[in-house]
Amino acid sequence: MKIEDFVRQNRSAFDDQEPSDKIWKNVEASVGLQRGGWWNSLTLWRAAAVIFMVLSVYLLIPKGGEKPANSDIALKEFTDVEAFYVEQISQKVEMIDEFQKSEGLNGFTQDFQQLEAMYLVLKEEMHTRPSQKVKDALVLNLLVRIDLLNQQLHSLEKGYKAQEKDKKSTSI
Amino acid sequence: MVLNMQEELIARCKAGDRDAHYRLYKLYSKAMFNVGYRITGNQDDAADALQEAFISAFKSLESYRGDSAFGAWLKRIVVNKAINVLNKRKHESIPEDDRWDVAEEEAPVEYGDELTVERVKRAIGQLPDGYRSVLSLYLLEGYDHQEIAEIMGITESTSKSQLNRAKAKLREFLGKEIQN
Repeated sequence: MKIEDFVRQNRSAFDDQEPSDKIWKNVEASVGLQRGGWWNSLTLWRAAAVIFMVLSVYLLIPKGGEKPANSDIALKEFTDVEAFYVEQISQKVEMIDEFQKSEGLNGFTQDFQQLEAMYLVLKEEMHTRPSQKVKDALVLNLLVRIDLLNQQLHSLEKGYKAQEKDKKSTSI
Repeated sequence: MVLNMQEELIARCKAGDRDAHYRLYKLYSKAMFNVGYRITGNQDDAADALQEAFISAFKSLESYRGDSAFGAWLKRIVVNKAINVLNKRKHESIPEDDRWDVAEEEAPVEYGDELTVERVKRAIGQLPDGYRSVLSLYLLEGYDHQEIAEIMGITESTSKSQLNRAKAKLREFLGKEIQN
């Protein structure tokens, strides 16, 4: 019998080595497939954003009996805080736009736009009937958006680095 | 059916599904590990090659268009990684000795009962790196000389002569084993 024929006939018996489980763990970590901590979960932040939007709607429903106390102070405080966060948000948005110029509308942008829309409604409310609650909701809206942007930036950066690394390796 | 399942797995991988990545890995890791093992000749290097290959494959899944079978695409990546590992380890490539060595078709050797999978594997394992790689790529992985030449960066005639020499060495090892 020729060696070629022997190998062909017994081909599957030649695959007898077993890779260790460690390899998958390393692959998983390098490709970024590991289930990260909850803090790093974009899904979780998106869920938080949705819950927050629902809360904002609840705050906007007019409730009787509440008088606008200390409204002017609340409004003044808010204007300062707002200026600070809006600046941060616009910087991050610019960075993300830079990253994903080519990409279309995805889940992230939808969430973000909804939060933005909700913010405008809340702000209108703040001007007509300023209250501590509405102010808190506005600040929270800004904070949630910053966190959402941070997560998105983080995941885009990871993807970008992976691409760069791939380009560098000469052959695949 | 199997192909559809695979296509679906690949599509899910492209969408970032962790479970789909794991299933695809499970489907191919053993066969691919053996491909790498035969080229590198040891488990540690084979593990490195397998790991690097899957990382590359998963990261460049977008570039897999489905025009070749996924297994063949992946195998080529594994082979390339294994050859890289081998080159890094040895710092020496196959000698370009085709000036001296004319690749002649040898008369096929007929073996008898001496061929067992264990013996052939052991004999292949004893071959020097260059011979073992060419012989494995040709006999077990099913590449032709043109493909081997491209993979290993050698000429087709070098590939042919390396195969002939490898087969002659193999015969020698198998013969010795019988005598012992």
